[in-house]
Amino acid sequence: MPNHNLSHDREGIRFFGTLSAAVTHDMKNFLAIINENAGLLGDLAARARNGPVPVDPQKACLISEKISKQVERADAMIKQFNRFSHSMDHAQESVDMEEMVYLVAGLTERIIRHHDVTLTVMPGPVPCRIQAHRFDLLHLIFRAVEMTCEMLDNAPEDTQKQVTVNFGSNPLVSEICFLVDTEAASGWDTLFDDPKDRSMLELVNMHVKKTVTGRGFCLCSGRKTQ
Amino acid sequence: MSEKVLLVDDEQDFLEIMSERIQARGMTVKTADSADKALAMLENESFDAIVMDFKMPGMDGIQALKNIKTQKPELQIILLTGYATVEKTVEAMKIGATDLLEKPADLEALTATIQKAKAEKMLLVEKKTEEKIKDILQRFGG
Repeated sequence: MPNHNLSHDREGIRFFGTLSAAVTHDMKNFLAIINENAGLLGDLAARARNGPVPVDPQKACLISEKISKQVERADAMIKQFNRFSHSMDHAQESVDMEEMVYLVAGLTERIIRHHDVTLTVMPGPVPCRIQAHRFDLLHLIFRAVEMTCEMLDNAPEDTQKQVTVNFGSNPLVSEICFLVDTEAASGWDTLFDDPKDRSMLELVNMHVKKTVTGRGFCLCSGRKTQ
Repeated sequence: MSEKVLLVDDEQDFLEIMSERIQARGMTVKTADSADKALAMLENESFDAIVMDFKMPGMDGIQALKNIKTQKPELQIILLTGYATVEKTVEAMKIGATDLLEKPADLEALTATIQKAKAEKMLLVEKKTEEKIKDILQRFGG
């Protein structure tokens, strides 16, 4: 039985808080750009009202496009955040792992960028599903992304910090792999060693496998065979 | 003389529109999309104030503030952020931030803060010059 205790609940709340903080920060940035564009329209209108210079229709169009672009970005972000917030509503079910990875990648864009990391998700060759609670799976994927970024934190400044997420080709074993492009990443030996991380793996009935190249790890369905 | 401002933010769209609006208010604006680039610019150029986002990729806001204050103690730094905790705000003010404004900011309030920052910088420069003169006079005047 998974150790679903108070500490796990607290980790879940911490995860929710981290994503909420990143998303609301992004929302503030979108609002700031919309606010400045609206302000610029106001500046142009005031100038036209007070002098002989009419509002340039091309400039007004450009501003309108910029506002629309930010509204689109904000809308996409809110949709993803809404899906994430509703992940708690579901009982254990068959979950599409690829869909969950894309959701985490979208929601953590800001966090990943702060580590100077570029994350690329490769489409899976076969459907990749697992029986789990959506929220627990999202939490595990987030933790894997967070760990990978942290392992790249100490890499030399000129290192290309590229993380690729891909999926296994065996339809009987669900597998998500996190691979880095550099040897400069450190901390592979202590991956998921923390009891909180191990408990997260247990909750979704998965285990960690290091890649043969030594530049990544995979989350695989089922318990580890000794 | 107009205020010379360095605007630092990782959102390119924000940098463009903000610099256009501040320039329309008679100020000179240069931009940088990271704290590292801002620090490099400060080595060759002088500014009255820096308007900087608190959370950007690369160097953390507090670290950037410390580095800038070490490099140019008289330079005034106005932090502009989506959200800042009370702890972070207090820490930033202790290190020497001039002010902290929340995004989306009121442009008139921001330009007023920049003007105030320039006046503050001039006072500091004046004080430093006076101290230098006093020091020289003491050394050579006996």
